[in-house]
Amino acid sequence: MKRLALRLFFVVALPLLLVAAWWFASAGSTDVYWPPLRTILTTFPDVWTGERLRDDVLPSLLRLLAGYTSAAVVGVALGTVIGSYRRVRAVCEPVLEFLRAVPPPVLVPVIMLFAGIGDTMKIAVIASGCVWPILLNTVEGVRAVDSVMSETARSYGITGAARLRHVVLRSASPQIFAGLRQALSIGIILMVISEMSASSNGLGFTIVQFQRTFAIPDMWTGILVLGLLGFLLSVVFQLVERRVLGWYHGLRASSRRS
Amino acid sequence: MHGLLSVSGLKKVYEGSGRRVEAVRDLTFTVDAGELVCLVGPSGCGKTTLLKCMAGLLTPTSGEVLLEGRPVSGPPPGMAVVFQEYGRSLFPWMRVGENVELPLKQKQLSRQRRRALVADALESVGLGDAAGAYPWQLSGGMQQRVAIARALAYEPDVLLMDEPFAAVDAQTRADLEDLVRGLWRDRGITILFVTHDIDEAVYLGERVLILSASPTVVQEQLKVDLPSERDQLHTRVDPRFAELRTRVYEQIQAAKRGVVPGA
Amino acid sequence: MKHTRPDDARPKSTRPRQAGRPGPANAALGAAGLAGFLALCEAVPRLGIVSEDYFPPLSRIADALVTELGDRTFWTALGDTLTGWAVGLAIAVTAGILAGVGIAVVPFLREATASTIEFLRPIPSVALIPLAVLLYGTELRSVLLLVVYASFWQVLIQVLYGVQDVDPVAEETARSYGLGTWARVRHVLWPTALPYVMTGVRLAAAVALILAVTAELVIGAPGLGARIMVAQTSQAVPEMYALVVVTGALGLVINVGARTVERRALAWHQSVRGEVAV
Repeated sequence: MKRLALRLFFVVALPLLLVAAWWFASAGSTDVYWPPLRTILTTFPDVWTGERLRDDVLPSLLRLLAGYTSAAVVGVALGTVIGSYRRVRAVCEPVLEFLRAVPPPVLVPVIMLFAGIGDTMKIAVIASGCVWPILLNTVEGVRAVDSVMSETARSYGITGAARLRHVVLRSASPQIFAGLRQALSIGIILMVISEMSASSNGLGFTIVQFQRTFAIPDMWTGILVLGLLGFLLSVVFQLVERRVLGWYHGLRASSRRS
Repeated sequence: MHGLLSVSGLKKVYEGSGRRVEAVRDLTFTVDAGELVCLVGPSGCGKTTLLKCMAGLLTPTSGEVLLEGRPVSGPPPGMAVVFQEYGRSLFPWMRVGENVELPLKQKQLSRQRRRALVADALESVGLGDAAGAYPWQLSGGMQQRVAIARALAYEPDVLLMDEPFAAVDAQTRADLEDLVRGLWRDRGITILFVTHDIDEAVYLGERVLILSASPTVVQEQLKVDLPSERDQLHTRVDPRFAELRTRVYEQIQAAKRGVVPGA
Repeated sequence: MKHTRPDDARPKSTRPRQAGRPGPANAALGAAGLAGFLALCEAVPRLGIVSEDYFPPLSRIADALVTELGDRTFWTALGDTLTGWAVGLAIAVTAGILAGVGIAVVPFLREATASTIEFLRPIPSVALIPLAVLLYGTELRSVLLLVVYASFWQVLIQVLYGVQDVDPVAEETARSYGLGTWARVRHVLWPTALPYVMTGVRLAAAVALILAVTAELVIGAPGLGARIMVAQTSQAVPEMYALVVVTGALGLVINVGARTVERRALAWHQSVRGEVAV
């Protein structure tokens, strides 16, 4: 009980301290760019109403979801093919190495040419930026499937779709998840900047709009919302990962003990 | 007469990046239904290559492997393999029960039949209550028991075991040897057991095949005329056991020097 | 009765000799792949599969690239991007290492900071764009704010993984011989953490480039990103693609360079470790 209390103390102490520091340091602030935290927090419920959540936050999230999911599907599928065949891998490697190195944000102006400034553009930007870490990590994961495991599978007649599902993808899943995690932060960046560049709704659009109209406390609430969104998405991701990769963490812990 | 499993004129040459390695030169032997045969040979004599050719995992350069008279070209359904590396042969993302069940699903057995086979196989290796655990939660010896259970549940005609106990401690190893003997006697399956351990080969086998050093041929075949009821304490101090052991040992030494009897 | 246990009784890899090593054959395949890709980039717009207005043939992009390379302002832009990247990365790496070692050395600091790090790390640095615009406009400091915020966490997290990896026995040995805090950091903690630090630097270098370009694209801070935006809005499509290729090449150089430095640093480092999933 005492240990639990101590842990709880460690979890909340520093965040509380920091928030308190912000609160008091900004309390009497007259600097327009650094409004008092109290002002920001009182503005918050006025800005982020149910209507705004529906009209701005939801579209942003849906675009992120659409782009991210298509990147995941394409990345894992292509990565599995490329990772399974040595020759295909040798052919694709230099090109992939280059395409991965292109900083994803430059895709915004490029894709705007093709897809205009609508939802398609934003989803395409998110998808084409997120696909590389997923693809390359899948290739690595699929390539590294243990030789004894694949021989076991073969000798027990586990081939084709069953082999892919039960052996190859499961064995590559730690790597795939590492790629998915990198892709998630890239996806959020692309969601925001594609909306900042050209949009009429969405989180990125709204926040830039506040900044341009010098609604500074509103802008600060927007920054908080984006931060909160990043945090929440990462928590969701971790929950999913812990479920899917429970075996992997257990395996690692057990091999570290011995 | 044809045995259940027969290997004739088997040769395997690895070729890659300008080097040519002849792992197995010319192997011929048969295993009859219900036999427990141990293959023993010096380290690096191509035992694993041979086993993989028999399991249909490698294609021999020449010669052939027949299972029930039919040539083996890919992994045959009537054969199960227990690998040395239990840690890499069991799937760590599946629980013990799922590991045993997966090959059965592939065989498209009914759920009821699968359950019965899994429970029976785990029971017979003494892991009746471990179905819900992950392999990495078990000790090395227990993991190898799971691998054996998976092979048993598959109901093979022939069970191939590739140095299955090389990576477990001596105590566990003795227990596992008795387990294999027991399973063989109770279930009447045909077992081909590959090992580099002379004591193990003599203790387990009804017949011992001694392989020469690489490139590999059969150096000698030896009938183990020990009583079929064996146990770790008495069998290993039996004078006959010592004689057989010495015999095998001499042959392996000869094999290492490259002396081929009768050649 | 004693068992005979030959010395090769450990589990050994039955892996067949890996044929997939990068050899001349693989290099040829890679070159073929690259050639195919380039040919595709030329053919697709030529055949009218994609409009040349959106995706000009490779030859026109190459022409534009040559023109760019002859332009002084291009080199200024490249210099600006590199400055933002390098200065931001340097600040992030220094701060990340200092913070990481500090957290590791001071008792209780690791527990006390864990939740804060977990909360601050996933905050997307692009959330700071409006603030950067207000505070610094299109100055270099805008770029630095984004670059440093994003790369700092990459370094810090890896340093923390690294110091967690310190062998407690080594740590206790050092303590028992009366080594002070500084000596322990230098001789025990730092050598253990170094490979992780190098991984952190490699990840941070890639992230820093992404954020530097983002700042230029969105805020308009001078650099390649801003130049791309100008090319796009003025319909100079081949120039835009040429600049995209340049950013890709820059990214490639940074990735390959960072990996080489990491490998060098690890070559003399004896530690063996598993890749940390990030």
